Amino acid sequence: MTVRPALLITLACLASTTAIGRPVSYVGGWTVIGESDRQSSSALVHYTPSPNMSLGFKTEVNRDSDFAIYSVHPTLLAKRWFGADYQGNLYFHGGIGVASGIHDNPGSDQLAIYGGVMADWETRSLFVSYRNRYLEAGHYAGQFMQAFRAGFAPYEGDSGDLHTWLILEIDHRPSDPDSVTATPLVRFFKGPLLVEAGYNLTVNQPLFNFTYRF
Amino acid sequence: MNLPIKNIAIITALCFCLPATAQEHHDHGNHAEHDMHEHHDHDHQATDSDHAAHDGDQATGGPVLTRTEDIESALADGGEPIVADVLGVVCDFCALAMNKIFGKREEVAAIYVDLDTKALSLVLVPGASMSDQTIADLAVQAGYRIADVRRGDEALGIAS
Repeated sequence: MTVRPALLITLACLASTTAIGRPVSYVGGWTVIGESDRQSSSALVHYTPSPNMSLGFKTEVNRDSDFAIYSVHPTLLAKRWFGADYQGNLYFHGGIGVASGIHDNPGSDQLAIYGGVMADWETRSLFVSYRNRYLEAGHYAGQFMQAFRAGFAPYEGDSGDLHTWLILEIDHRPSDPDSVTATPLVRFFKGPLLVEAGYNLTVNQPLFNFTYRF
Repeated sequence: MNLPIKNIAIITALCFCLPATAQEHHDHGNHAEHDMHEHHDHDHQATDSDHAAHDGDQATGGPVLTRTEDIESALADGGEPIVADVLGVVCDFCALAMNKIFGKREEVAAIYVDLDTKALSLVLVPGASMSDQTIADLAVQAGYRIADVRRGDEALGIAS
């Protein structure tokens, strides 16, 4: 059981999960999404077979509770609002898989099921998003989380330029001692690569996310 | 709820910053909308045409073909120019999706997505054609929607 956690953590560092970038790509597109926040690190690789859904495989390492989840992860684009200067999206995301203990956690494998909603609205200079998730993973976890983001772009880049966003994330995890935390972050993206780096001021933890689309 | 003072300060700062930025954007939006009306309502005015040429819109309505090196080359080869107004194109990932979907079509010789004008510029391979419906369907595959399509002289901004 020592190789798998190491592999997972490596994957999570190389890639890690959810609502950064667009969780549904263009038809035929592959996306690697990585997230590492105050509680977990995760990696999601997904394929988009239709304009309204993506299907992927996700690994998530919960560093606080020493368990990992390996899951199939579909995302449904329920609604997209179009305008000449804006775009809004409503997604349902979920997953089903196995939760296993890592490091010295002796817990047995458990069924893991999670699901939630993501929504965003953005123009070329303003951005707001919300996402939530409820996770049920047997004796490992029964967790709810939600996060709200608001940000702005200090300049409007064109196609192929380096795009920069300044974002504040407020997340709420009722089961955590620090239930509400704030993370200012900077987002850069250029072409197929999006990178976010931030620092959770409440619990003094770094945040690192990226999305690569091909 | 454990919210240290520094977090509250950041939230407060953002609350002050966002409305100001939003107002600025709103003003820009109104300005653009106003300009669009100007272009439609006063096609004959020289000042309006000058402005249109400056910002990429033509008095005939809507953005014109964006001239990149590839597009100039494809035009020189005799391909048909097409400009499509795209709804929802607000980020570089949007442009990437359009490039991937349209770029793999045999009919397309050159492509450029202009985020400033929200326009997809295409030049077809000489002799090839692509219907408005095909363009709309491809845009849906990329995750977006086409509002209008202009071709030939209209796409080039040459008044007929």
